[in-house]
Amino acid sequence: MNVATPFPQITQAHPAGIPSAEQILELLPRPVLVVGSDGLVTYANTASMTSLAAVVGSEMHDLFPGCALNLATMTGAPSSLLVSRDSENFDAAIAALGAGQFLIDLRPSLHAQCADKPSGLDELTGLTKRNALLAYLSSALCTGPASSVAVHCLDLDRFKMINDTLGHAVGDLLLKKVADRLTAACHKDDIVARIGGDEFVVLQRHVEEEGAAETLASRIVDLIGRTYVIHGHTVNIGVSVGVAIGTNAVQARDLLRNGDLALYEAKKAGRGRYSMFKNGMDALLFARREMEIDLRRALALKQFKLNYQPFINVTSNRVDGFEALLRWEHPVKGNIPPLSFISLAEENGLIVKIGEWVMRTACVEAMSWPGEMIVAVNVSPLQFKADTLLDTVATALKRSGLPAHRLEIEITEGALLDDTDNVIQTLNSLRELGVKISMDDFGTGYSSLSYLQKFPFNKIKIDRSFVASDDADSEAILRSIAGLGASLGMAITAEGVETAEQLSRIRGERCTHVQGYLTGRPMGMDQIPAFLAQNDVE
Amino acid sequence: MASGMYRLVYYSRNHIAHNEATFGSHVEEILEKSRINNQRDEITGALLFNAGCFAQVLEGPLDKVEAAFERIQQDERHGDVSLLALDPIDRRSFPNWAMGFIGTSDIHAKRFAGIGLSSGFDPSRLSGDEIHALLRDLAIEEEAA
Repeated sequence: MNVATPFPQITQAHPAGIPSAEQILELLPRPVLVVGSDGLVTYANTASMTSLAAVVGSEMHDLFPGCALNLATMTGAPSSLLVSRDSENFDAAIAALGAGQFLIDLRPSLHAQCADKPSGLDELTGLTKRNALLAYLSSALCTGPASSVAVHCLDLDRFKMINDTLGHAVGDLLLKKVADRLTAACHKDDIVARIGGDEFVVLQRHVEEEGAAETLASRIVDLIGRTYVIHGHTVNIGVSVGVAIGTNAVQARDLLRNGDLALYEAKKAGRGRYSMFKNGMDALLFARREMEIDLRRALALKQFKLNYQPFINVTSNRVDGFEALLRWEHPVKGNIPPLSFISLAEENGLIVKIGEWVMRTACVEAMSWPGEMIVAVNVSPLQFKADTLLDTVATALKRSGLPAHRLEIEITEGALLDDTDNVIQTLNSLRELGVKISMDDFGTGYSSLSYLQKFPFNKIKIDRSFVASDDADSEAILRSIAGLGASLGMAITAEGVETAEQLSRIRGERCTHVQGYLTGRPMGMDQIPAFLAQNDVE
Repeated sequence: MASGMYRLVYYSRNHIAHNEATFGSHVEEILEKSRINNQRDEITGALLFNAGCFAQVLEGPLDKVEAAFERIQQDERHGDVSLLALDPIDRRSFPNWAMGFIGTSDIHAKRFAGIGLSSGFDPSRLSGDEIHALLRDLAIEEEAA
């Protein structure tokens, strides 16, 4: 943060090599403020900028909400308790500087919690709570070398499921046992805190020894992941741990944030494991957050558009229709491929809104195509979960006037993995509307034949990887899936056809359709008439 | 608190160093502790061990068995705990507390021969027992692994 301070000379060292008073103030690891009698900050040292976000011009009642401060009466008192916006407690010593200015020296408070509430401990587990943890952490960072402190941010895996299936009473007992195990795993100087329903933080001290933090983290993963027996039930949960060592982050909140970032990585890597914070994790997450903000605006700002890739009927050699492909034209970053943003959109739920837009737009645009040409639209598994898919499709058809048989919905196996019965029910309702349903990317996931049995898909699309390679194995797989589809009365599309040689191979394999660069690249809406004219369709 | 009778069976991998002296002293400490705790908690059963693993049957009131199992789970001298059975029982199959070394290592067999005798461990009485046979097989496989 670049903030002008009223002490521009701080960089000048004292002639004798002794740091100047201003330098000392700036290096002091705890916040120091100078405040006018009107409550406006006139000086803020570096520590107060980082821990309180205080700058010259900040108002005391913003920095410490709920704190009716009478500086004059507090001057000279041993210390007063101030609670920051982040609920950090400080012991404040106040001295009058004259001319209506007051010096406020802030020390992270260890005991303020007790004065504030009867108990700073979590009622259920007896562990430290969030505020007290922050105070302990600030104090540990102030008193010793930061590199001797590590935080372990923990999130229980599958806890919600236990709570939902076995009830809150068992859930509570489980949390108690987790707390016991954590305490047993830690040194007595360490602090174990419960900061949320199933979120815990361990403050580990004395981690100077190489690997000490890793050792504790792996012990936590082992111990918490061991089977529990509660009221005769066998309970299995896991834990994900993010570890950050106080090397560069001198502020309690920074360290916790780093731990959280590492925790996010541990969860992303599959849970039931620990992950150490590394520099760059914050940059990655920052980029992700930035993309999320952009993504939220993209719909409103009309940055999405659809491209269309034709699929060709190999018997008639005619274009049967086009698959709608989402494009994001970012004003600064240019075209962002779907692979880079779909997973993010699925993670934060935006995919449902985006999916609705795609469905509406594809139906409207397909209305301008000649004859009975089909538009194929991809639907994310998340859209099934949202329970609005049927409504979205029905509305899109009605508003656009597109006959239902000209719409083909492409799903992947992922949609059928969870809650299969409900998804099948939705698929049946869609089919009753008259919409076609196809199975996309077949061959890359579970390729479960039971899915093909459970629902009569109109079409199976064989993944491009089996088309691209010309080895005997791929060819055998291609032939088998095509044969299977033909026997079940399903059309078969071979995806990713790029060469004439591949096309001739596919013609021999009972595939009914092809799609790929050879038969037509994705194109904008405006290019479709020319493409169709060239392919002499009508 | 009224609590039905349960039987819990587990086996786990031994994390104690295979060094003769450490292993011996750790095992003796474990045995001594379990003997005291189990007597207090009306728990009976059997603990079989060798250099590779522990295998244990605990029988007693559910709450006591749960508490004993939780203590066992927090012990880092073993790991990979597999819970083989947790069932309500009408009567105890192990009316006393028994523990013994089973394994193929002669050195360990000699070393721990006395433990079996002093705790009343009688392999011949247990040999017909299904659980015992299961534990025994597991334990021997585990030692070999």
